[in-house]
Amino acid sequence: MNTINAGNITKGSFIIFKGAPVFITKAEFMSPGKGSPVMRIRFRNVQTGSAGEFTYKTGEIIEVAEIEKREMDYLYRDGEELVFMDPKSYEQVNIPLALVDEQFGYLTQNLKCWIVWYKGNPIGVNLPAHVTLKVVESPDDVAGNRINAPKKSVKLETGIDAQVPLFIKVGEKVMLDTTTGEYLNRVK
Amino acid sequence: MRTWQRIKNDPNLINQSLIREKVIDGIRTFFKSGGFREVFTPIMVPVPSIEPNLEVFKTELRTSKGVRRDGYLIMSPEFSIKKLLAAGVGNCFEITRCFRNEEEVSFLHNPEFTMLEWYRVNADYKDIMKDFEHLFLDIIGKDKLEYQGGVYDLSLPWPRIKIADAFKKYAKRDVLEVSDADFYKIFFNEIEPELLKLGKPYFIYDYPISQASLARPCKDPRFAERFEVFLGGVELGNCFSELTDASEQKRRFEADLAERKKLGKTIYPIDTDLIDAIESGLPEVSGIAVGVDRLVMLAGDFSSIGEAQLFPGKELFDL
Repeated sequence: MNTINAGNITKGSFIIFKGAPVFITKAEFMSPGKGSPVMRIRFRNVQTGSAGEFTYKTGEIIEVAEIEKREMDYLYRDGEELVFMDPKSYEQVNIPLALVDEQFGYLTQNLKCWIVWYKGNPIGVNLPAHVTLKVVESPDDVAGNRINAPKKSVKLETGIDAQVPLFIKVGEKVMLDTTTGEYLNRVK
Repeated sequence: MRTWQRIKNDPNLINQSLIREKVIDGIRTFFKSGGFREVFTPIMVPVPSIEPNLEVFKTELRTSKGVRRDGYLIMSPEFSIKKLLAAGVGNCFEITRCFRNEEEVSFLHNPEFTMLEWYRVNADYKDIMKDFEHLFLDIIGKDKLEYQGGVYDLSLPWPRIKIADAFKKYAKRDVLEVSDADFYKIFFNEIEPELLKLGKPYFIYDYPISQASLARPCKDPRFAERFEVFLGGVELGNCFSELTDASEQKRRFEADLAERKKLGKTIYPIDTDLIDAIESGLPEVSGIAVGVDRLVMLAGDFSSIGEAQLFPGKELFDL
C-alpha cells in the first residue's frame, strides 16, 4: 500500500478516501496563525462522479490510489462513450464521455492522450497541454475598434468556439491551451 | 501566457485592476473619515514574528563599511504598530505588503500579499466586529454580495458565534478538550459546513487561550478575546483585544519558541523592543488583520486572489 502525508496531497492526484478512489480537484494547504496546519481538499469520486470536500491534519497518513497511465490515440465518439486505441497493441477501449467533460471540444482524431487506469478500469483522461484546431467559421469583417489587439469569436473544427485575434481567417489553424481555453498562437 | 500579455490581447482586462484601486481607496476613505491616522511602518525588520506555524523570508543587510545585520520581511505590521500605539498614536490603520514563506501558493495564498490592519484604542474586539461590518458594506456598496454563484446577505448585524457553542452544537464536543492539532480539522469538517448554511458572513469568537498568542484573556481565562470573520468559507480577518501585560506577552513568545523548537524549526530572537513598548504602557486597544487581496477577490467576483493580481506569484516564480 502506497501512502503519503496529507500535507503532500496535490491537485490532480488520486487518493483513497473512505475506501473509494477519488481525484483531487483542489488541495489547499492552510496554516492558521495558531493551531496546527491542515490540508483542505476537494475531490471527485471517480466511480460515482460525486464531489466532496474534507480537511486533514497535514501529518495524517493517506493511502494513494495506485493508478497506471497509458498513452492512447483518440478515435471517435460513440454515443456517451469515446473510443481510444493503444497505438502499439491496436487494442481499443471505450471511455465514458463524462471523464473528459468540457475538454471534449479539444479532441481530434489521433490526438495522443494519457488514459488513467485504476484496477483495470479507466478513471481519467489527461489531454496534452495544448492542441491545434482548424477554424471553420468566422464572422466576416469584425469592426476593428480603437484598442489594440481586439478579439473575435470563431468556430473550430470540433464545434467549439474560441476567442482569437482579428487576423485569423477560416482555414487557418490555432493553438489553444486545453486548461484555460485561451488562444496561444497561429499555427502555419 | 503572462498577465501583461493577456491584457495586451484584451485591453479590457486592465479594468479588473480598477477593483483593487477602488477597494483600497474605499478603505482609506472609511478610516480617514472615522478619524483614524494612516501609519507607515517598515517592511524589512531586524526581528521577525515567531508564530510556530508560519515562516518568514530572511535576508541580510550589509553596509558599505561591512556591518551585517539579519533582516526579515514582515508577516504583519503588528509589532511596529503596537510600538506606535505605546507611543500614543491613537486610532490608526495601515495598508502594507506582507510576506509569508513556505506556504502553498493557492487560491487564497500568495507569498506577497497586501494586509490591512487597524487598531482602535479604548475598545475591545466587539467594537472591531462593528468596524468590520461597516467597512465591508462600504466596499461592496450594497447589502447583498454575489460571489462565484453564491448569494450572501450582508444586512447587519452578522451572526456572532462563540467557538465553544459552535463545537458543542455542531461537533458535540467541549472545545477545551479538543487539542490544538485537531481544532481546525473538526472546525472545517463538522462546523463550517453548518455555518455556510447561514448564507451570511459570520464572526467566530472567544478562542481557547492556547490559540491566541497576542490576545487578552476573557473573563473566563480559559478563553481569549479573539475573533475571526468568514464569508463563504473564506477567512477575511483575525482580531484580538490586544494583550497589554508585558510579562504575559513574554511568556507567550517563549511558549511559541518552545513550540518551534519542538517542531524542529528555526529559533529566532524575541522582539524585546516590543516587550519594552508594552511594558511602557499600551492603551486598551483592539486590532485586526485583514487580507486585502481577499476583499478584492470578493468585490470583483474573482475565483482566486491570483486572478485579482497583475503579477501573481504563481506566474512570477513559475510555481
